[in-house]
Formats: sequence, structure tokens, C-alpha cells
Amino acid sequence: MAVPVRERALAYAILIAMAVLVLIPVLAGSLTAFKPQIIWISSPPVWFFQPTLENFEFVLITRQNWLHLRNSLIISIGSVLIALALGVPAAYGFARFRFRGSRGLMQWLISLRMIPPIVVGLPFYAMFLFLERSTGLGLRDTHFGLILTYQTFLLPLVIWMMRGYFVELPAAMEESAMVEGYTRIGALRRVVLPVVWPGIVATALLNFIFAWNEFFLALILAGNNTSTLPMAAGTYVVRARVEWGNLFAVNLIIMMPVIVLTIFLRQQLVKGLTFGILE
Amino acid sequence: MKVVLKDLVKGFKSADAFAVNRINLEIDQGELAVLLGPSGCGKTTTLRMIAGLEQPDSGRIYIAERDITDLAPKDRRVAMVFQNFSMYPTMNVYDNIAFPLHAIKMDRKEIDRTVREVARLVNIDQLLERSLRQVSGGEAQRVALARAMVRRPEVFLMDEPLSNLDAKLRVQLRTEIKRLHQDTGTTFIFVTHDQEEAMTLGDKIIVMNRGDIQQVGTPHEVFFTPRNAFVANFVGTPSMNMLPGSLRVEETGRIFVALPGFELELPRRFAAGLRRMSSHHVIWGIRPEAIRLVSAPGGNCVPGLVELVEALGSRDLMFVRAHDQLFGVIVDALDSVAAGETCLLHFDGAHMHLFDAASELSLLLDE
Ligand SMILES: Nc1ncnc2c1ncn2[C@@H]1O[C@H](COP(=O)(O)OP(=O)(O)OP(=O)(O)O)[C@@H](O)[C@H]1O
Ligand SMILES: [Mg+2]
Repeated sequence: MAVPVRERALAYAILIAMAVLVLIPVLAGSLTAFKPQIIWISSPPVWFFQPTLENFEFVLITRQNWLHLRNSLIISIGSVLIALALGVPAAYGFARFRFRGSRGLMQWLISLRMIPPIVVGLPFYAMFLFLERSTGLGLRDTHFGLILTYQTFLLPLVIWMMRGYFVELPAAMEESAMVEGYTRIGALRRVVLPVVWPGIVATALLNFIFAWNEFFLALILAGNNTSTLPMAAGTYVVRARVEWGNLFAVNLIIMMPVIVLTIFLRQQLVKGLTFGILE
Repeated sequence: MKVVLKDLVKGFKSADAFAVNRINLEIDQGELAVLLGPSGCGKTTTLRMIAGLEQPDSGRIYIAERDITDLAPKDRRVAMVFQNFSMYPTMNVYDNIAFPLHAIKMDRKEIDRTVREVARLVNIDQLLERSLRQVSGGEAQRVALARAMVRRPEVFLMDEPLSNLDAKLRVQLRTEIKRLHQDTGTTFIFVTHDQEEAMTLGDKIIVMNRGDIQQVGTPHEVFFTPRNAFVANFVGTPSMNMLPGSLRVEETGRIFVALPGFELELPRRFAAGLRRMSSHHVIWGIRPEAIRLVSAPGGNCVPGLVELVEALGSRDLMFVRAHDQLFGVIVDALDSVAAGETCLLHFDGAHMHLFDAASELSLLLDE
């Protein structure tokens, strides 16, 4: 499909304008992360200065935010792995089989996505408290407790996204493999998963971003041992005073994995997000 | 291997009629059997039950005397070529063909030898390193054939493998499938709704309609001695001319059929079938190829007006209106009559078909 030069130029102009609009605050903020404390909020803002890593050193080491970074990594990666392990097979089941209540169940799963976290957070807190008192099973302030809670949001997202990918594939693909000597599981592993791999990558990334950025549930359910990076960022906004440089240093650390992953998985991501649209 | 279907029934929850309604069928070792029927008659469902992709509600399936009804697809030693799917998109042609061999843990060297041998058989040995995007539809379907053959299945199942190809390629691949069948001596079950394909390919044709088997026979048999009105109408293009009629038997024993607007005399071979009739209502039929143009009027002759002529190549298909009925008539192009002119049609009793209007069964059945 050939797009006329003028239309293409226009499209690029719009895209660049949007990118600039989105990037300016991010860039200005990121710049602050490298400023020494005295010029954090100098007015007018200083654009040229000797960059320093002292803010990063302060947040990671002095304020021990490397622990929060570790918590965030454990919880996000753990959540995504569990959501994929449970969600991908479930999505395949929803895509291929009709069973009693399958449609209702799917609709219910999708509706879960629309629940605000607060509706889930407090009941989970009460439930964990109850479990702890009645059975001694401590889930409050554990990584696993948060990972479990996040499934409420991640599982429906995985199932919903992956079901879309599976539905796109002709059933004849795995049926063919089944006639050719494989079990359904074997066919799934050897034939179907390689085809939907970009979809799995895209799903994993979106889920990772959700878990990584999640603030509210962590606020309710995490404690000293499990508090995450977004919570750490919160500590730099104190009443009337905001520690801008430190805040943006943490923000940059929060953004980093998302940016790096997106760049590395760019191709898979585009393929996964446009599955079946572009050919 | 010999395939036997016994009292096979399959219904789907969402449909009110049975997709396959108690069918019984035997396909002999090495036979090329064609399941022929209109869309939705249960051909694919039957094939999928043989492959094990669909579980019958009741009935049994045997391959070489072995009851395979409850076996998983992978243990049935059958191969299947699907209508709309031919290649695993993440593998190249070579890996596609080798794929079934990995399931039986064959060693690399043996796999390589087998893949190349089979690829040569279907003329794709020069495409082995290509990816899915670099092969045409016809080539992809050859890959599917190769992949199906590579494990030397006992039974070869094909569900309309040619229906997505253009006409020329279809004819070409049809010939190759026929040759493949002769070379391998394997039992083939081929599904199609294209009756020309069925005729040219099949040793045995199984005509199906609404989940039932209507007739099993050689291409010659289903064409010349259709068991019922459905088979008569479905097999053959253009289809048989059919009209409702009623029978009249004279004391002399001569039999006549009264059709809308005219009457024809029937040959005596219908006399036996007549005794089985519960009423005198029949469906009368004659194939377009069996109607002759004559110059002098005589018995069983009807004058008509040519409305339209379609060229079929060496022959012409004329649509002739006689006594307000439209007849398809196929004649040698040299004998054709132009549209708007009149002609004289002769219906030869030897080529007529009669079916009981109530049961739709042929009066020529000998039972
Ligand atoms: N999975 C299914 N769920 C519900 N109904 C089905 C299913 N598969 C087939 N049917 C129904 O069963 C009947 C037979 O279908 P089948 O696919 O066997 O027909 P077919 O002879 O192969 O037709 P075609 O020539 O169109 O491929 C049809 O009425 C169809 O609607
Ligand atoms: Mg079909």
C-alpha cells in the first residue's frame, strides 16, 4: 500500500508533535534527577549543569530504595509468571471449548478488569487478616500475598488477550498435529505456542507494566518487608515539601525496565499487538 | 486398510438435526472412496470422526478390523489434509514435512531421507528451504500432502483439499492425487462437494445428504443408475431434467407417464418396479445428454423453442421450452440450434429414470 508523500509527512508531523508533548515533562523531570540538590527547583530552571548521580545514590543506598526495587521486581515478575502459567492454558480452553457456563465465566472475567482496586484491596486485607488469625497463615506483608492479589487484575487481562490470539488461529492447526502423532498438549507446545509467541510477549509486558506501576493495592497490603518502588516514590512527597531530585531519580528507576523491555521486545510487541491486523 | 463405519451417529448440541445419522459404510483396502454431497450434509463430520477429532454419539469405527473408536487421533495411523489449513507458519517447508516424524522419534538421517523422498513424490523437492510466505497456495497444499504421506498412514483422509485452488491447479492436483493413490496403494477417503471431482477421482462414490448415505457405487453406477431422486439430481452437471408425473397402464401392458402438458411412453423395464408403487405419482427424469434432436416427428417426440444456448466447448447446452417446461439439452456443437428457433426433442425410453414420488426411490431398484 503506497501512501502519498504529503499524507505521510502530515502523519509524521502529528506523531512528532504528540511525542514531544508527551516527552517534555518526562525529559524535564528526568533531567532533574541528575541535578545537584541546590538547583532542583531553581527558577528559571537550569538547563546546563554538571550531571551528578548523587540523587540516585541517596535514594538507593541511603534511603535503601534498592530494597523496594528488589520487592517490585520479585512481585512483578512473580505475578506475571503465575498469571501466564494459569492464564494461557485457561485462554486456550476458552478459545477452543464450549462448556457449561463458559460464556458467562468469560464475561465475568472481563468485568473484573473494570473493578477499581479499592473494591478489591480492603476485602483482601480483611481476608488476609482473617486467615492469619484463624490459621496462622501469614499473607500480609509477603511477596506472595501481593502476587496473589494482583492475579485479580492480571489473570483476566492474560485470559482476555491470549484468548484473542488463540481464536485467530485455525483449530485445524493443532488438529493436524494431533492426527500427525501428537497429544493436544504436544500440539499446543510444538505448533500453537510458537505462533502466538509474540502475543505472549506483548501480554507479559502489559501485565508487567500493570504490576510494576501498581500503587494502591500495595499501599493497603504491603508492609515494611514488601513495599514497592511506587510506594518509595511516595515518600519523597512529604506535606508541603517535595524532594524533586530524589523523586525523579526513583521515577527514572521505575521507568527504566519498562523502557528497556519495550525497546528490546519492540518487534514482538508490534507483532503481538497488531496480531492478525497487519499482514 | 479396510475402513468400516458401523451405525455411526453424531449430533451437535446447537443443531436440531443429526449431522451424521446412523451411517454404515465399508471402504476396502486400497480403495479411493469419495464422500460426495451438498454443503452441510455431514461429510466433514464423518471424516473427523474417522480421524478421531470428533467423538461419535454412538456407533463404531474399525480400521483393518481394529476398533479405533476410542483411540486418540495420534494412535489411529491415519493422516488428514484439511481444507483451509496446510502449513505450520513458524516452520519452513522441510520442517513441516519432518514434523510428523519427530513424533515417532526417528533419527535425523532417516528423517532427512524420508522428507526428501516424499517431497520428490509431490514435486516440491526444490522448495524445501522455503518459508510459508514463499510458497503459493497450490504448493502449500502439496506440502500438506507430503506431510500427510510422510508417516505412511494406513488411511489417507482429505477434506476438500483442492477447493481453495483455482480451476486449473485443481485439475492438475487432482491428477496427482490419483497418481499418488496408485503409487502408494493406500486407502484414501476424499471429501468433496464437487461432483466432477468425485467422478474423476473415485473408485467408489458415497453420496450423502442430510447426514444419510444416499447411495454407494462406482462413478458409473451413481451416474447411470441413481438409487433415488436426490442422487439423480445431485450427480451430473448440468443436472437431470426432472418433472412430476403420474403413471397410466393400458390393458395391453403399455405404460405411459403423464407429465405437465404431454405424455410419454415408458419402456417395459419399469413394469417390475411399478408393482412396488403405493400410488401412481412419480418423478420422471432424463439427463440433458440423453435427449436427442430429431428431424421427423415420432413416438416420444416433443416440439420446443430454443431459448438460450451456452457453449461448453465441443458441445452446446441448449435450454429448450417444450409444453411450458424448460429442458436442458446437451448436443454436439455442430448439431446445435440457435436461440429463437424451434426443434424437435426425442426422449429415449432407455435413458429415462422414474422415482416413486412418495419415497423418491428409483423404480429400477432390484430388491
Ligand atoms: N462444531 C459444530 N457445532 C455445531 N454444528 C456443527 C458443527 N460442525 C458441524 N455442524 C453441523 O453439522 C452438519 C454437518 O456439517 P459438516 O461440516 O459435516 O458438513 P459438510 O458436509 O462437511 O459441509 P461442507 O461441504 O460445507 O463442508 C451441518 O449442519 C453443520 O452445521
Ligand atoms: Mg466440510
